Amino acid sequence: MTSRASEIGLSNEARPPAAAYFHVPFCAHRCGYCDFTLIAGRDDLVGDYLRSLDLEIQRSRIPLGTPLATLFFGGGTPTHPEPAEMRRLFEMTRRYFHVSATTEFSVEANPLDLTDEKIDLLTEMGVNRISLGVQSFSQQALKLLERDHCAHDVRDVMARLKSRFENVSLDLIFGVPNQTLPDWKETLERAIELGPSHISTYGLTFEKGTAFWTRRERGDISAVDEELEREQYALAMEQLPAAGYEQYEISNFAKPGFECRHNNVYWNGDEYWAFGPGAARYMNGRRETNIRSVLGWLARLERNESPVADSEELDREHRARELIYLGLRRIRGISRASFYEQTGFELDELCGPSLREQVQLGLLDDDGSYVRLTLEGRFVADRVVMEFL
Amino acid sequence: MFDQRFIRNFSIIAHIDHGKSTLADQLLLKSGAITQREFREQILDDLKVERERGITVKARAVAINYTLDGQKYELNLIDTPGHVDFHYEVSRSLAACEGALLLVDAFQGVQAQTVANAYAAIESNLEIIPVLNKIDLPVTRVDEVLDEIESVVGLDTEGCLRVSGKAGIGIESVFKAIIDRIPAPKGSPTDPLRALVFDSKYDHYRGVVTYVRIKEGSICKGQKVYFMKAGTSHEVLELGQFRPDMVACEELGPGQVGYIVTGIKVLGNVHVGDTVTDFHNRTPTPLPGYEIPQQMVFCGMYPIDATDFERLREELQKMSLNDASFSFAPDTSEALGFGFRCGFLGMLHMEIIQQRLEEEANVDLIQTAPNVTYQLKLRNGETQFVDNPQQVPEGGNIEEFGEPIAKVVFILPSDRIGPIMQLCADRRGVYKTTEFLGPKRAQVIYELPLAEIVFDMYDKLKSITAGYGTMNYEVIGYRPADLVKMDILVKGEKVDALACIVHRAQAERRGRALCKKLKEEISRHQFEIPIQAALSARIIARETISAVRKDVTAKCYGGDISRKRKLLEKQKEGKKRMKQFGQVEIPQKAFLSVLDANKDD
Repeated sequence: MTSRASEIGLSNEARPPAAAYFHVPFCAHRCGYCDFTLIAGRDDLVGDYLRSLDLEIQRSRIPLGTPLATLFFGGGTPTHPEPAEMRRLFEMTRRYFHVSATTEFSVEANPLDLTDEKIDLLTEMGVNRISLGVQSFSQQALKLLERDHCAHDVRDVMARLKSRFENVSLDLIFGVPNQTLPDWKETLERAIELGPSHISTYGLTFEKGTAFWTRRERGDISAVDEELEREQYALAMEQLPAAGYEQYEISNFAKPGFECRHNNVYWNGDEYWAFGPGAARYMNGRRETNIRSVLGWLARLERNESPVADSEELDREHRARELIYLGLRRIRGISRASFYEQTGFELDELCGPSLREQVQLGLLDDDGSYVRLTLEGRFVADRVVMEFL
Repeated sequence: MFDQRFIRNFSIIAHIDHGKSTLADQLLLKSGAITQREFREQILDDLKVERERGITVKARAVAINYTLDGQKYELNLIDTPGHVDFHYEVSRSLAACEGALLLVDAFQGVQAQTVANAYAAIESNLEIIPVLNKIDLPVTRVDEVLDEIESVVGLDTEGCLRVSGKAGIGIESVFKAIIDRIPAPKGSPTDPLRALVFDSKYDHYRGVVTYVRIKEGSICKGQKVYFMKAGTSHEVLELGQFRPDMVACEELGPGQVGYIVTGIKVLGNVHVGDTVTDFHNRTPTPLPGYEIPQQMVFCGMYPIDATDFERLREELQKMSLNDASFSFAPDTSEALGFGFRCGFLGMLHMEIIQQRLEEEANVDLIQTAPNVTYQLKLRNGETQFVDNPQQVPEGGNIEEFGEPIAKVVFILPSDRIGPIMQLCADRRGVYKTTEFLGPKRAQVIYELPLAEIVFDMYDKLKSITAGYGTMNYEVIGYRPADLVKMDILVKGEKVDALACIVHRAQAERRGRALCKKLKEEISRHQFEIPIQAALSARIIARETISAVRKDVTAKCYGGDISRKRKLLEKQKEGKKRMKQFGQVEIPQKAFLSVLDANKDD
């Protein structure tokens, strides 16, 4: 499905989704801020994982050879397992899905994992987009974030990736405790210097249940001041476009033509397959999330039980409201016309007063055909979208 | 009809927490009115809130049979509340008795309500039997407490009983003293019927149940009776006694205590203090009756969802069925819309009603901070009573602003006199007297503005005296004071429901405290919110709630969509329970900030 197709609302329920996500939960270490589904130090489970993943795909009854427009391996760390194991993983998925040269095939990677052997493997398997978990170029921040690499490792791996992959994205984190505005500026500049095609910048979130949350409760670390975090975000939105990275979503910037097509599927409200512990799928109007515990997921599949822990099927109106919440994350905003085609609701009938109020507050911009967040609105996007839920 | 020579009617009067309900339960248990199996603490407190808080709110009556030296007696116990808010219920119960047990904690000794209740019993000419309770405690002050009873209350402690309600010690001596020392009720069975209505309650099946004490004559099933004050006549459909559950009987004679059911459906139609007489053979002189209890504290209650107005009315109606001392009237606020102005006997009473509304009714409420009634003398010569700050006219129209004054009796350890005097001075009190009750305890009397004591004086006293001080108060009249109405502006708009009446000298301090408190209560918005306190047009305090500068989810990918949407939905749900003023959302709790700001000394 092209972005043009979704724009004019060709959400064809009869056709299976053309996007797929695979969750690979293995990591060498759980970083203090991370609340993703992962399991650290249990590489012995990779074999079981691959077997269960095969079972999960089989049981999902996908039509064999379903063509994919986008395929995404996230984690955890998809590049953590041994090369042979990674090969089994990619080969398995390609047995069920049809991956072509036009498929956007992304893999999240940890810089230190990317040996030449693994880079060769990724190339051989048809991967054409690498998303590198860089997080920072400041040693102090990297240490606090409990990352195992240093700035030099990133430069090294970028040099080696350059000749093989045209499409590389760097993930960066701001709002790191003790991170100053100049620190962050330097991280942005270093990232730009390396010339990736895509950059994501994430404000650090203290998630309940993480070590960072506990440390903050204890007063051991503290979140950066709200005003500073705002300046850091503002700096990214200023510097990256100036260097040719157009902002296309709250946290995402890309050189022209390098937007992540897979992630656009989420914000378009399109459907997608998903497999693995904690993975979330959207199929036939139903959102399902697998059990987050890796062992739980393994056990359920082995016992021939469904791995789904949560599911919800929204009614038409809620689906439309959800689409506003997702669509406003994109900088180009929501097209009135395609909103109507996709949901059957006129945007203004569904939420005219909220819309006008947010426009009046200067948080939304409405040009008649598109509604989008203003620059100011991006800072408080949660407050804005809440009005439409 | 039970031979009235063998009837005894008595109350137990005590300071709160001195063990009144426990002793009552023991009397029921030892007399066989309830079995050990049925025995549970505070059986007479049947409101849930009474059990939870361990206090008695409503008067109760129970008939107990007890046999002494082969003679069967009928003992009617009329239980009374101990808290100052419900003092009027005490005098109500006492009028139905010939005697009272004055229960005093053997360690804590005479307390403010001990004195107040004992005086009420003395004024009612009751036979008073002093009883020391909790004598099983490891530490008691028996001799000192006896001295206090003699010197403060003025009772002979010669025959003072020593018991423990909790351990069941000395309960037989209580029965014997009741029988030997409390006189049997007088009153001729052949005189025209006179029965005192001393309480009433609403029963889902029977309608209004009227509590009566027969003074003269008798009452039987099917009799046509006449309520003298109400001027209504009814047939007695059922009558009986509380044992402690309602048990029907055929007839009640002089001295007996029980209930009658007459088919009255509306509690408001039964007047406590009324006299019941025979319709055909009426007594010429009604019983003296009672003073109507005075509401001291008022607050507004508004449904958050305007469509709940009628439901709230029904719930308040239900509450008032069983509590004639609680009042409510429709009211409107510019800020809060349609709601009710409610009157209470005191803060505890208010909290109890509020708690019951929350538990029993399912209406989301905004309650405004409570205030007392003010007496305004206007330039045009009129006198106006105001129980709502919103109704205070423009300053120029007011000749004199009068506030209720209470005479407050503190009983406290002598070494805490200093801090209490300081507190009273801060609260604009006028010192009256100090009297030493013994080597270590004293009684201090002040006249204080009611507004300065109803909200938190009790808590302050407890903290100053480490729990050993007690107080009692009665309103003695109105006095002029330099009072002003303080308005609160949120983002430049007056929020009428936050207005309050303060003394001019304290206006600035309270204004600052209130603005500060509101800043804590109102969450940040997308814009800056100034909060100001003003006297007329003059701003006396200001705080600013800064705008939210950043609130955005960093990652929203496949696995985040449902979870983060639900979080936002929950947040939005929380906002719905707030009241919207222009663009500002004010949470329920903020309206009570006025109260906290007053406490903030």
